[in-house]
Amino acid sequence: MFAAPKVSRTRAQGSSTASGEHSLRVLNNDTYADWESVYSDNIDLLYRSIYAKVGNRADAEDLTSEVFRTALRPLRLDVSKREVRSYLLTTAQTVLASHWRRTLGVSLTSIDAESDRLALIELGQTDLPSDAPQRALRILAALPERYRRILELRFLEACTIKEAAYAMNVSVSNAKVLQHRALRMAANVGEEVEP
Amino acid sequence: MTSRRLSAYIDAVAAGRRPRWRNGEPGPHDVAVMRTAIELRAARPGDSSPDKDFVRELHRELADEFDPSQPAKVEVLRSHRGRAVLLAAAAAVALVGGTVVVTEAASHSGTTNVALQAPHVHMLRIGTFENRHGQVLGQIVVYQGHPSWVYMNVKAVNSYSSVRCELHLTNGSVVAAGIVHLQDGEGKLSHTVNLGPHRLRGATLYGPSGAVLGSASLA
Repeated sequence: MFAAPKVSRTRAQGSSTASGEHSLRVLNNDTYADWESVYSDNIDLLYRSIYAKVGNRADAEDLTSEVFRTALRPLRLDVSKREVRSYLLTTAQTVLASHWRRTLGVSLTSIDAESDRLALIELGQTDLPSDAPQRALRILAALPERYRRILELRFLEACTIKEAAYAMNVSVSNAKVLQHRALRMAANVGEEVEP
Repeated sequence: MTSRRLSAYIDAVAAGRRPRWRNGEPGPHDVAVMRTAIELRAARPGDSSPDKDFVRELHRELADEFDPSQPAKVEVLRSHRGRAVLLAAAAAVALVGGTVVVTEAASHSGTTNVALQAPHVHMLRIGTFENRHGQVLGQIVVYQGHPSWVYMNVKAVNSYSSVRCELHLTNGSVVAAGIVHLQDGEGKLSHTVNLGPHRLRGATLYGPSGAVLGSASLA
């Protein structure tokens, strides 16, 4: 039987992230009544956490399902909600790592430092925890205008490469080159932008 | 120069498709580009919420897997609005007693006839969910049979996608009734219960954070 990991840090009610964009509330020590409560209280958080790391619905849904199937069977309900959530996020971390090993051979993204922070966030707020958009916008903001624009069109505004080329008044092959160079630069910028 | 593999991977990420990488591991430079593409794609506004159908379907599958005491039929009823309406009709007809035969048009499995033995009037318990301001949030009906059933509808509970319901027994115990999935602020739940209506005192609705939304006393 699983003994849920202890959350190593706690934060007072109303504390915030480094960027000050999210107000966190410490989960109380209530326990979940049944697995359905665990599911309904955490499905949104887990899906969003995983989606931010894979970027597509099909993988996010498969991995979220795997997390619940893996975690629910040995889960003890006599531990606090905070410990249950920490356990779910630890399981998500493992499931995601296994996904990358299986499909790519290397780890592309991971659920890591976020785990403790996410475990402390109480649901019920519509603005759910993901720093992905803010970080992506910071990366884009650091790029030259044309690089930023091609990435905005392709990744944020759902344009095909043809549509993006048309919007930027360049040929399709030029748009592909532009996108590739922009992604290379964005990758370099991303290493300098705080997670 | 970008490789075709990388280009195809990036195209799939941008389009929201499941990306594939074949024949060997990507190099560190490619990994950095792929990671950045995923990060940018995940930041697309409005795309990070789980699909409601996915949430419902996974819930049903987990119920089958982890709660075998509940017949699969119950879960099917729980997850389809049309079938919940079927039970609503059954509960309503139960008010006058007798046997009900209803025909359900299931989209994927043709037509199914379901015969329900409706109970006598005195076996029904009925309550109204109200919040602390007296606003009506829905109704709950419990009737005795083999098995006994609880049926409830919930309406206009803020912008939640689901609410949880617990049944309160006369001995002070609490039993989980299940999750009511809401669409456009409304939802229904039909569920068998392994206890008679006479043992129930009331029911409470909880939001996703565990906050009490409303409660009902059974008359």
